[in-house]
Amino acid sequence: MADGTSTPEPIQRLIEAFHRLPGVGPKSAQRLAYHILRAPEQEARALSDALLDVKRRIRLCSVCMNITEQDPCTYCADERRDHTTICVVEQALDLLAIERSGYRGLYHVLHGVLNPMDGVGPEDIRVRELIVRLQDGVAQEVIMATNPSLEGEATAMLIQRLIGPAGVKVTRLARGLPSGADLEYTDDVTLARALEGRRELV
Amino acid sequence: MTGRARSYNTEGVILRRRNLGEADSIFTVFSAREGKFDAIARGVRKPRSHMRGHLEPLTRSQLHLAQGRNLDVFTQAETIAAYRAVRDDLDRLALALYCCELVDRFTVERAPQPLLYDLLNELLEGLDSDAPLTIGRAFELRILSLSGFEIQLSACALCGSRIPEGDTLFSAMAGGLVCDPCRPKAETGRLLSVRAIKVLRFARSATIGQFAGLRLDEALEREVQRALADAIRQVLDRETNAGRYVDSLARPLRDTGRTAAGDVQWSPPSGS
Ligand SMILES: [Zn+2]
Ligand SMILES: [Zn+2]
Repeated sequence: MADGTSTPEPIQRLIEAFHRLPGVGPKSAQRLAYHILRAPEQEARALSDALLDVKRRIRLCSVCMNITEQDPCTYCADERRDHTTICVVEQALDLLAIERSGYRGLYHVLHGVLNPMDGVGPEDIRVRELIVRLQDGVAQEVIMATNPSLEGEATAMLIQRLIGPAGVKVTRLARGLPSGADLEYTDDVTLARALEGRRELV
Repeated sequence: MTGRARSYNTEGVILRRRNLGEADSIFTVFSAREGKFDAIARGVRKPRSHMRGHLEPLTRSQLHLAQGRNLDVFTQAETIAAYRAVRDDLDRLALALYCCELVDRFTVERAPQPLLYDLLNELLEGLDSDAPLTIGRAFELRILSLSGFEIQLSACALCGSRIPEGDTLFSAMAGGLVCDPCRPKAETGRLLSVRAIKVLRFARSATIGQFAGLRLDEALEREVQRALADAIRQVLDRETNAGRYVDSLARPLRDTGRTAAGDVQWSPPSGS
């Protein structure tokens, strides 16, 4: 950019910070930065407080790894939910999608999937916590609700292998979902149907 | 899209995917005619994308592309072979991804390698039927030689003299077998049994299908595997990501603490 050197350093820093966010290109980052510059100071303060609050007050539930303000999270603490079923999802946003479909069991959030080509192995996601959690013998069924992508399937197969000896039934969402789908973008009806048609992993 | 954009068709195997922004992905393709290249699929992560299933890694597809400013853009894709059985078995999947990573590492962009392309599809077809996982060894040996890193298996890699029948030193650094008189000159190496040397010689000339018919006991396969791993590390100068993953699946998983649930075990992160 021709005016790159004349952009004041604080604005440049803000643009770079926005640019690092997922899905924000250089143009959008620039627009956002100049929006903040023009906005009243309270708006900037509210944004920065919200950002810091998220980091200070939100943590992972020690049981299911969901993001939460209280530990255990509201799902894990809710006695009315079915504690014998654990639905395993890739990310917290997927949990919300499953919840909308009417599921009322418990969850486990992996915070990622295996990606052998990029060197993401089982130790890089929250698999270990799931295995440890199953040892109390309460859960009877683990529903693998990872995305039907190659990475999601690989993750499901690995978890199946790891918990196989524990004698817990492992099921997988039915393939009502198109291969390569993102749960986050899947409509509720499709998702509900996929949950009903889950099958046991062998 | 402007009507002037140049477009082309090519057949290829999808090696890997990286997500871009909200709904796009960049795919690395290994094509018969074009060699390896990256191209972008717009909107491919939306639920109603027509191309999504045809661009999953490990899929062999007919691809239609339009030339873009930086990266070419997929306009259409149709599956030729989905290699579905490979995806449904963790060990087959891990080996297939490892071989794709080797292809990615051993090739440069837009340099066609039709023999390597055929080799990759032979491997995937083997893994999709019920060929043993040992075909991965044949793939390793062949990708080395197709890439110009032929392992010396008949003559000494250092002096060129004939290797007599018997257990022989294998040195990845020297480039293959090393005769007894040259041994002091080889800096590192491992002793290979006659049987392992014969397996390697067979792999050099056999097709993947022929190699699949070879019975290897576990010890022999491990011996061959270690030698080839040395050779690949020597060329790539580092471990492959997927290779480490294959190892971690093969290695008996280590303890999380024994429990009532039985042998639930865990393998700790390697390296860090
Ligand atoms: Zn929780
Ligand atoms: Zn010699």
